[in-house]
Parts: sequence; structure tokens; C-alpha cells
Amino acid sequence: MAFVTNQSSNDVSVIDLDNGKTLKTIPVGGKPAAVAVGPKGAHIYVVSPDSKTLSVIGRDTLTVTKRITLEGGPFGVAVHPDGRRVYVTDWYNARVFEVAPDTGQVLRIIKVGDSPAGIAVTPDGSRVLSADRDSDQVSVIDTDSGERIATVPVGERPFGVTIDTTGTRAYTANVGTNTVSVIDIANARVIGQVKVQERPYVVALTGGRGFVTNQYADTVSVFDLETLQPVGTIEVGEYPEGIIPSTDERRIYVANWFSNTLSVIDTQTLQVTAEYETGDGPRAFGAFLLAD
Amino acid sequence: MNRRAIIGALMALPMISLPALAHGPSRQKITLTAEVAAPPEEVWAAIGNFQDMSWHPVVFSTEGVGGNDINATRVLTLGKEGGPTIDELLYKYSAEKMSYSYRIEKVDVKVLPVTNYSSHLTVKPRDGGGSIVEWRGAFYRGYPNNDPPEELNDEAAIAAVTSVYKAGLDALTERFGAAN
Repeated sequence: MAFVTNQSSNDVSVIDLDNGKTLKTIPVGGKPAAVAVGPKGAHIYVVSPDSKTLSVIGRDTLTVTKRITLEGGPFGVAVHPDGRRVYVTDWYNARVFEVAPDTGQVLRIIKVGDSPAGIAVTPDGSRVLSADRDSDQVSVIDTDSGERIATVPVGERPFGVTIDTTGTRAYTANVGTNTVSVIDIANARVIGQVKVQERPYVVALTGGRGFVTNQYADTVSVFDLETLQPVGTIEVGEYPEGIIPSTDERRIYVANWFSNTLSVIDTQTLQVTAEYETGDGPRAFGAFLLAD
Repeated sequence: MNRRAIIGALMALPMISLPALAHGPSRQKITLTAEVAAPPEEVWAAIGNFQDMSWHPVVFSTEGVGGNDINATRVLTLGKEGGPTIDELLYKYSAEKMSYSYRIEKVDVKVLPVTNYSSHLTVKPRDGGGSIVEWRGAFYRGYPNNDPPEELNDEAAIAAVTSVYKAGLDALTERFGAAN
């Protein structure tokens, strides 16, 4: 199942990825953009920047079971693998909220760079990375101490940040320079750069390749994660944004904000094999896939 | 809305200074279309040159470099000589698909209350004859933070872009006739 945030229609489309059918449309409100499916898929977290809300959706009922208000400009969201901590960037106030979803309490507030957008947690839960868009950097946060322990200068205006399954490398999509920066997380430094197309949004990783949505080019750039060389370019819908691989690595799903569709890409042939309908203005910024 | 009223509406907004590249949290989109009687080739011949926006009633002059190549630029002067300007850049162009895409590089929000604006202009054949002209825009409001003033909120941005598109499409309908 995919949980696609529809910013213009103010809801979340729950889409069956086997057949493209919308199983349910969940009203959320507040122009939702970012989404993160929690560990084991029991809860899905959605951030609505206009209403300053973190909504918790229960998988069993597919309804909003809790709304947590976060004062400021809540935007990106990621969940700690222990499921007890949710991290939300505050776009306007250069910080990250650490929220306990059970109680709705803000546990800690961590200072980062300007306009943090995307956020991701390492698979072992030890680090949180925020893409600080207007500081052209990534902040590395130690989740034990709740302190920022490093900043990594990347390309201009990083928006999405994605961490690989081993927690070794992270990848930012840099809107200002049309590049992807490759970060060695342990050493907090950039070890490579990939040229992509106009207005990259976020990177997805699967099968040894990176897939990057390019908002203005209406394409997905594909590159090899070892050599960092381009592999191909795939035409998708207009304004592609959120992108995520299937767990079996055979497909990649792309939300097209202007077209109101979800493109399905075969990761072997790099062809679009289907287009599914979404609500109005799908963004799906984050980990929007729930494995069955 | 006549030409003077549109310029009036665009000019009536107060001056405010904004940090570059910042924007509010929610991108807006609109699509307007016009169905005209002339065939697509004829309509495209009139509007398909990025360096000539004279078909739009609000545009006084177009000056640019790079023709219809990617990264070509143009400066639109609105209303009259010495009027407000909009700097734009071409980032997609297909004569075959009769479509081009451009973005605004620089505009004062008192002229057009938007940021991060991009747009697509396309001519398509219409079932039963004639053409469909489609004009799409994606943009953020003029005010980059929470709680925007009324004249720089989402509604103001949508209204302003809508009035620009409508004026252009109305002019094309007048020029080429409404499709039957």
C-alpha cells in the first residue's frame, strides 16, 4: 500500500499498489505534504504545514487517531526505528522536533540550519539527518544526546535527504545546483556528486541505483551508486516529487504533483508500466510505502 | 477584465522585500484552457515564439536573447514603455509538441504576488476541429512565511495568475474565434 499525501485536496490516498485502486481517502486537512510510515507499519505520520499538525493514522482503521500541534513550520517527517520517536523539521525556525507519538509530547528540540526540509533516520536509529535547505548543508544529530554533532556542506538548496539501508551513505537532492550530493555519514563529508536534471526533489535507492525526481524536467534521473555515473532518464508525469522503491526492488513509485498520478517504474527496464490516479496535488514527501 | 484593470490589479499591491528563493509551505497550481476555431499550427505560429509575447494584451514589449533554445531569456515589459518587468527563462521547448515551459527568474511581488513560478503553454488539436490552448502554472504565494498578509496569500497568488492567463486566452479567442 502507498500513503500518498494530496496537498491540494487535503487528504491522503491509500493506494493498493497491486492494481492502483484507491482503497480509501483519508481527510487530513492543512495542506499535507510529508509522510512517513512507521516501523511494522502500525502507524503512518503525516505533516500538514498549514495547520501545523502532525497527524497519526492507524493502519487498522485507516483513520486519523491523533493530531499533534507543532508550533512553527512543521514540514518533513521521519520515524525512529523504535517507533517511539518521530522527527519533524521546522522550516521557519531552523530546528527539529523530537516527538513522542504516543503522548504527543515534544521530547526535545534540536537546533539545525535554516529552512530544514527533508529528514531521515539511520536504520540503527543512532543518527538523524536534516537537509537544511537555506544553509546548503546537512545537519547530523546524535539521537542519544539529542545534540547536533556535525554539519556537512552539500550542493545549493538541498531538499530531500535519503539514507541507504546500511546507514553508510546519505544522498541529498540539491535544488539550486541540479545535483545530488553523496555523504559519508560516519565521517560527515561529501564523497561524490551527481549531475541530474532541473529542480531535483528527492532521491530513492534500490538495486544499486539512485533514482531522482526532477520537478521541472518531468523526469527521473537514474545513476549507479558505485560509480555515480548516469544510467538513464525516465519520462514521468508533471512535477514528479515523492519517490520510493518497492521492498522487492522491482518497482519504483513516483508521485506527480501536477498530473495527479502515481507513476510505476520497472527498475530493470526503466520503463513506466502504469499510472495510478491520486488525489489533487500528490507530494508524498517521505517514506510513503507500507510493505504488506 | 480589460487591460487597464488587469494592470491596475497587478500594481495595486504594496511593496515588500523578500529573501531570495524562500517560499511558503504550499505550492499552488492552476490550469486554464481556451478552445479556439483556428487549427493548432496557426495558433502555435502566433504564440510559439518565446521571444514574442505580443499576443498577450498586458505585454507591451518582449526583449530577450537565445531564441527558442533552452535557457533563452526574455524580459516582458507590462502595460507601457517603462512599465513593470518580468524576467523569464525558457527551460523546455518542443515545436513538435507545440509546447514550451518557462519560469520567472525575477519579478517584484507587487507586480505579480508569486515566488518560484513556473509555467507551461501548450496548443493541442481539439476534437471536432480547432485548437485547445492550455496554460498551466505552478507557484508559491508572494509571502514566504506563516500568516501572510491578505494581498500576498495563496488566494491572491491564484487570483493574479488566473487573471493574467485569462486575459491572454481571451485575446486568443477573440483573435482566432471561439471553437464551435
